[in-house]
Amino acid sequence: MIGVGTDGPTGAGAGSDAGIRATERDCWIALSLVPGVGPAGFARLLARYGSAAAMWRAGPAALRDLVPFGDQGAPGGELHWRADPREVARSLQQATERVGGRVVTGLDDAYPPALRTLDPRPPTLFVIGPQSVFLERAVAIVGTRRASGYGMSVATEIGDDLARAGVVVVSGLALGIDGAAHHAAVAAGTPSIAVLPSPIDRIYPPRHRQLARDLLRGGGAIVSEIAIGASIGRPDFARRNRIIAGLAEAVVVVEAPDRSGALLTAAAANAIGRELYAVPGPIDAMASRGCNRLIADHQATLVTSSASLLRQIGLARGERPPTVNALSEVEGQVLRHLLERSGSIEELVDRTRQQPASVASALAMLEARGLVNPFGGATFHPTVAAKRLAKVM
Amino acid sequence: MLATALSASIVGVDGVPVRVEVDVAFGLPGLTIVGLAGSAVLEARERVRAALRNSGFEVPSRRITINLAPADLPKEGTGHDLAMAAGVLVASDQLDASRLARTALIGELALDGSLRPVPGVMALVSAAQAAGACDAIVPVENAAEGAVVQGIRVRGARALRQVTRHLAGLEQLIVEGTPRRDAEAPPDDAPDLASVVGHAVGRRTLEIAVAGRHNLAFTGPPGVGKTLLARSAAALLPLLDEREAAEVSRIHSVAGLSQPRASVSLRRPFRAPHHTISMQALVGGGPRIRPGEASLAHRGALFLDETLQFRADALDALRGPIDSGAVTIARVNGVLALPARFMLLAAFNPCPCGWFAVDGHECTCEDGMRRRYQARLSGPMRDRLDMIVFLAPISSFRRTGPPEDSSAVFARVVIAAERQAERQGSANADIPPGLLDDRTGFSAAVRAQLDTRARQLGLSMRRLHRAARVSRTIADLAGSTLVQAEHLDEALLHRPKEMRA
Repeated sequence: MIGVGTDGPTGAGAGSDAGIRATERDCWIALSLVPGVGPAGFARLLARYGSAAAMWRAGPAALRDLVPFGDQGAPGGELHWRADPREVARSLQQATERVGGRVVTGLDDAYPPALRTLDPRPPTLFVIGPQSVFLERAVAIVGTRRASGYGMSVATEIGDDLARAGVVVVSGLALGIDGAAHHAAVAAGTPSIAVLPSPIDRIYPPRHRQLARDLLRGGGAIVSEIAIGASIGRPDFARRNRIIAGLAEAVVVVEAPDRSGALLTAAAANAIGRELYAVPGPIDAMASRGCNRLIADHQATLVTSSASLLRQIGLARGERPPTVNALSEVEGQVLRHLLERSGSIEELVDRTRQQPASVASALAMLEARGLVNPFGGATFHPTVAAKRLAKVM
Repeated sequence: MLATALSASIVGVDGVPVRVEVDVAFGLPGLTIVGLAGSAVLEARERVRAALRNSGFEVPSRRITINLAPADLPKEGTGHDLAMAAGVLVASDQLDASRLARTALIGELALDGSLRPVPGVMALVSAAQAAGACDAIVPVENAAEGAVVQGIRVRGARALRQVTRHLAGLEQLIVEGTPRRDAEAPPDDAPDLASVVGHAVGRRTLEIAVAGRHNLAFTGPPGVGKTLLARSAAALLPLLDEREAAEVSRIHSVAGLSQPRASVSLRRPFRAPHHTISMQALVGGGPRIRPGEASLAHRGALFLDETLQFRADALDALRGPIDSGAVTIARVNGVLALPARFMLLAAFNPCPCGWFAVDGHECTCEDGMRRRYQARLSGPMRDRLDMIVFLAPISSFRRTGPPEDSSAVFARVVIAAERQAERQGSANADIPPGLLDDRTGFSAAVRAQLDTRARQLGLSMRRLHRAARVSRTIADLAGSTLVQAEHLDEALLHRPKEMRA
């Protein structure tokens, strides 16, 4: 019989009894690694047995009768249960530290306070980055990976405004909206939190590795509930969304089609009592269907502008004086038209009634100064800086 | 008895003089051809024999040996037939040898003794001229083409009989006059810009590209008019000068593209190969090296419609010629360079469904699919384009006036091309990086601006040079000696950008 106490070693080192000196934390970590034991299963077990050590003592037999985990035999197989929890915890800790991260369990003080209230909460987190980020005010920005130029532009603007107001932007580091929000936060110089669907040593998607590096360099954090070495699957993407919502006080859905992962985050936000905001889109745009429905169904508050969103969250928009020199007449005209509505050069030539040559050189100048952003080289969008400039123009 | 006649063979796109030596000796009757002759040359044996007999001559029943010198040069084609037949006649004392020495004989023989045209006559005649021939006799269909070569009298003949009578002094074949050039009519298959509605930016960039011979790509959703616009470039290309025209015609003649009796055209070639083309057909090569589409577009435009559907190896093979203006083919027996200095016109959809990044439309492509599609235009290829222009769908047929027609644009292009030739003797696209300074109108102020923009936009050196050349053309179109900041900015806007998802 394995004897383990909640507060450190209890036994007297009985030779083959491996778990004898395992701490509650070791058991906690080892147990959270058992495949099939998700946060919900963990919480249920904890409620029944009182401590991780007691659960470990009960072994696979205890898990087997715990519906629905028990119906496929012993979760994790016998092998897992024969391992020494101290060994399991130590090797995981070492693997995590090798990539500059740390293991944070629900027992630790370092466990993000915002997640403590979740039920069930992730038993164990893997974190790279300072712990202080989790104590700041945080807002999540989520949306589709296949974002339109509009979505990218709005995500950037909201991300930038939130970051400038000192709010930590939480998102999932995915392509599209997530990436735009992180990019904006990093560019504004405010820490940001990326919640990965993969272990922290395998940045997913790989295309955002550089973004992840920049985010960490800017004092942000990368979080995952997947242990290093674990394989990942579809459910991990869904579970990640709960953590995104959990870490934030409010969730903003920028662009989400039907059946988007961002809608899962939205549902999680409502389920755990986080404020939910949605950015409306054209009613014929597939990419905005989910957002528009959230608004129509009174599940989310409509975002009329980035400034109004900040006001509703109770923040003042961080004003920064525009640093752009005076624009020429055509440049100003082009920018005003763009602020009114994004468009292709062709449309701008049409709307400004200027020569294609002068519109082109004006756009190039605006791009060089960071005032417009050519999305896919096709449609030009005003950047956050341009919108800020618009107030003094 | 021994006789020597002069002919020529094609290597790559150039002619090489070939001496046809004929020896008629006692021995077992027969005709042997030596000197690395290809199969078409070996078959000349039967053609020559029949043509001689049917022209009323006697084929000596003795041992005939024909050597094609230089003997280590592989020879192909049927152009040596006439020289072989004449050689046999002289060697068997049926013809006086005196006029054979300085006359090149080029042409394929039919069995009845008449002459058939051969490809590459212009290159063949100039090779003969370089070898010291004063006269050349070619099939009458090729006479006009051959007459372009200066310093040699070119005569057209219809049959072997005519040639022998001329060589015997019984009849004079008429010397083909230097071809008179008619006013160049625009190619009738090029769409006129008057039929292109809207696309002010597309027209503008096409004009810039054609004027400076820059590489231009159109992208945009299906049906927006990318192909129409690109094809209309054919009517906008400025005319060739005489030297360039001869060069182009020679290549086309070697490829067998010259129309019978057609002479040198000052029209720049406009080639639009289909996207299923093989790499060898695009850049040239093959067991018997032939110029590919890239060489046929030399001094003209190469239009690749649906660029991303081309085979990846074929597209990437264009990188060399775009940089160096020539296709280099390495073979065991040497390296051959085929001229291929073309402007590249490309047209492709932004993604498989065609609607990526189009405002008000949604792209239905999977992210990965779109990236794979866009990656078909490799980074190095993208970098070699000077401008990528997005053509947006026309929102309305409202127009401010009738669209300009091609002739008006052509007139501006010609003036801009003349400015370039006057200033640096080449198109702006070919200005070497070292010459992008005061000599080509880049003031210190504009060069400083270039540096600023390079920093702001994160441009590579090659990108910067390409944009600078385009801005030079924009200044030329504006009639400005100096490149201004606004010219540079316009060029930079159209620079190839990463299509990010």
